[in-house]
Amino acid sequence: MTNNDRGNDTRATTSAQATVTERPARLAWAKQAPEVYKAMLGLEKAVAEGIDPVLLHLVKIRASQINHCAFCLDMHSKDALAQGETVERIVQLGAWEESRHFYTAREVAALELTEAVTVLTDGFVPDAVYEAAAEHFEEGELAHLIAAIATINAWNRFGVTARMTPGHYHAASAQH
Amino acid sequence: MSITTDSVAAEPSSRAGRSRTNRLPAGFAAALQAAGAAAKRGLGDAILAELVQVRASQINRCAFCLDMHLALARKAGESEQRLDLLNSWAETEGYYTPRERAALALTESVTLLTESYVPDEVYEEAARHFDEPELAHLIALITVINTWNRLMVARRIAPGGKPW
Repeated sequence: MTNNDRGNDTRATTSAQATVTERPARLAWAKQAPEVYKAMLGLEKAVAEGIDPVLLHLVKIRASQINHCAFCLDMHSKDALAQGETVERIVQLGAWEESRHFYTAREVAALELTEAVTVLTDGFVPDAVYEAAAEHFEEGELAHLIAAIATINAWNRFGVTARMTPGHYHAASAQH
Repeated sequence: MSITTDSVAAEPSSRAGRSRTNRLPAGFAAALQAAGAAAKRGLGDAILAELVQVRASQINRCAFCLDMHLALARKAGESEQRLDLLNSWAETEGYYTPRERAALALTESVTLLTESYVPDEVYEEAARHFDEPELAHLIALITVINTWNRLMVARRIAPGGKPW
């Protein structure tokens, strides 16, 4: 695969500036651990059945930003765009604390919870964050939201550790 | 006057009552258990599997998971001394094998993902001790315990509490 193989992306570089060479993945983990991969798809299915897809995309993109998962950012930003999310709301996720007015109060509560559950080592999940989420989501919805955050964190760990290569995902033709 | 242990000797039922919620989506726990079981089978080292799960749970401060995996480690035959020292394994010599140390270093990097990526030297040292299928399952095990850690901490499931 080459740098020219990035499908429908709009490239910002000029023709005189080549980008640096793409690094290969470290490990084809899904091929090496197919049962695990199948179980991961089971997690994804269990989560997706009880959460608003617009919110799920925002949660996935934000967790992937925090965990620096390039592959996941590629996939979930393309999926979000393909399903009608705005560029503005995706871009602003990187600084959502400062741009809350782009999101609903419910989305903000979910993003706060995403932050706390993802950055777990900074200090548990504060009561204020949990309670704010519980005001916007009833118990079953909240269970789906927590499971969704935990699941994207899991995909992020596979993506970063195996160094899965970003840039080749096509939203229209593939979903995981 | 003797030291009272009343505060830590509460009934399991009252501790379980501290949970924020024990709900999970239908089918979620079963799928995560399947992922964990497959990861352990593929790693093929029950003691190492428990060391990894205890270490990740220490980093993420998951009380439920620590309680469970320390018990499982003892049951698998792990020594008290190696469990006691696990929190500072990198500072020890002669307690953990090079293979275990490579796995513990990988556990820390994959668990502390928000602090940096997974450094090449950490990954490569693990790849020296584990072949590709073993390494894929080790990464999976670290990922699965991190997922349980998040579920238990976020929902504040107490040690011995009802997890779903």
